Amino acid sequence: MRALVIDDSRAMRRIVSSTLEKLGFEVNQAGHGREGLDVLDGGWVPDLVTVDWNMPVMDGLQFVSAVRANPAWRAMTIMMVTSESEHTQIVRALAAGAHEYVIKPFTADALRDKLALLGLLPQEVAL
Amino acid sequence: MTLTATSFDWVRALVHKESAIVLQPGKEYLVEARLLPIARQVGIPDVSEYVESVRSRPSADSTRRIVEALTTNETSWFRDGDPFTAFTSTVLPSLLAARGPNERLQIWSAACSSGQEPYTIAMLLEDALPNAASRVSITATDLSREMVERTKAGRFSQLEVNRGLPAPMLVRHFTRAGTEWEVAPTLRRMVTARECNLAAPLPPMGPFDVVYLRNVLIYFDLPTKRSILSRVRALMRPDGWLFLGAAETTLGVDDSWERVVIGRSSAYRPLKGA
Amino acid sequence: MSTIDTGERRRSGDARPVIPELIDEATIQSIAEDAWTALVGEDELLLPMPGELPDDVLSSWVDVVGPWTGTVVLTTGRQTAAELTRALLWDSAPELLDHEDVADAFGEIANVVGGNVKAALPGPSALSLPEVGAAPAVRNSADVCRVEVLWRGEPLTISVQGALPPLPVSQH
Repeated sequence: MRALVIDDSRAMRRIVSSTLEKLGFEVNQAGHGREGLDVLDGGWVPDLVTVDWNMPVMDGLQFVSAVRANPAWRAMTIMMVTSESEHTQIVRALAAGAHEYVIKPFTADALRDKLALLGLLPQEVAL
Repeated sequence: MTLTATSFDWVRALVHKESAIVLQPGKEYLVEARLLPIARQVGIPDVSEYVESVRSRPSADSTRRIVEALTTNETSWFRDGDPFTAFTSTVLPSLLAARGPNERLQIWSAACSSGQEPYTIAMLLEDALPNAASRVSITATDLSREMVERTKAGRFSQLEVNRGLPAPMLVRHFTRAGTEWEVAPTLRRMVTARECNLAAPLPPMGPFDVVYLRNVLIYFDLPTKRSILSRVRALMRPDGWLFLGAAETTLGVDDSWERVVIGRSSAYRPLKGA
Repeated sequence: MSTIDTGERRRSGDARPVIPELIDEATIQSIAEDAWTALVGEDELLLPMPGELPDDVLSSWVDVVGPWTGTVVLTTGRQTAAELTRALLWDSAPELLDHEDVADAFGEIANVVGGNVKAALPGPSALSLPEVGAAPAVRNSADVCRVEVLWRGEPLTISVQGALPPLPVSQH
């Protein structure tokens, strides 16, 4: 299974990628929404996208809207991973088409739980 | 004495095999902290010694106890998923058909901890039934007064709501209170929390249509398991449903239950005439 | 901690809230603790104790724009910031950390703490991208809430400070 991790923070990209790789995902990264769309346009279509909200060039909400507007990318699961945690913000993200929402700070277990809910957790977890 | 590498590796392999959870190197301190209370409970003051005693003569119970202690970080919502799916897909419709329109369904969350389980059930009911609060009541009990108070308050930290609670349910059923998230008043009204010691005679409660007794029996010896199950059964409707933890079973403990497979989980129902 | 609003600030027709009316040290402390627990380690402690910051400090901050407008600033010694970066990255940390690694990690921590501080304030508010460098100055000493902690024995401060200077004193 494939995952695209989008965050303007390299540290956060490393943390999320590392957790997903340990769960068996093949991971690609992007630094903002526009770069993320470029990866998808290039034909690398993941099963899961984790995306931050506040990023330069194109923010997470714009990215989610752009992805959901494209029928070719219907099967992708989009999970926002962000420090934006106002109730109204979460509602906006879900309304724009995000499937799930992880509030920063989060633990690896939290990410794992959300993936389990989405049915994206591989049965066997590599050590 | 600190955990030896051999002991740690064995525990890692066990946890991975039983739960697919990965214990990363460097987490020895976590294993020690989590297993020390259990080691003491069985009279072994040293974690390495305790692990070695289980490793040399492993049993289903002793290994499960170790796995449970290490995989219960914060209590998560929709724990193990399937028992809650089973509830909405099969148990609830079956109960609604079997009961009269004015009969209140009674549900018992018998080891409610900080409240995630009873409120998970409340959310499912709220989403499934109009006027859920008038159709169902949920009794939540725990041995610990602190946990009962927490359940009554219905407030959870950001870290707690991140654990397995679907975001759409978070926004539907919670409001922010400072840095915490508080369960909606309608859901809190559905849940009555009280202290209860399962290993002692139970207060008059129920009769319950559904009981959640999850990941609690593993902490007790066989005779106590039996008496708990029998006391629970006495508080249940004859056509009620019992949910145990994902790795638990009544098999070998109490043969007065019928196991029913629902999707990827199981429920137990009192055997007629048993 | 509670502040009784006597309405004095409001008399000049201005409804500008100041930070002590909106959030307290305990809340900021708890936000930071959650961030450290999740991102740095389960048993990491932030002791609420003042310490003397070294001469060579680094700050990271995010701006909050909404019913309250201001900045959430983290400040610590440069060495501590590097240690924090290494702890955050854990097994993804490179052998040698450069300034970019530290700025990036420390900035992200400001993003995480700042985002959660913002959510505890009246909203809706917008959050800026993080910046790193010399801390922005306090504009109004009445519009600050400051938390001082020790992490692994090293001082670190979190300052939630308003962007606007104090109103001129009324002539009446």
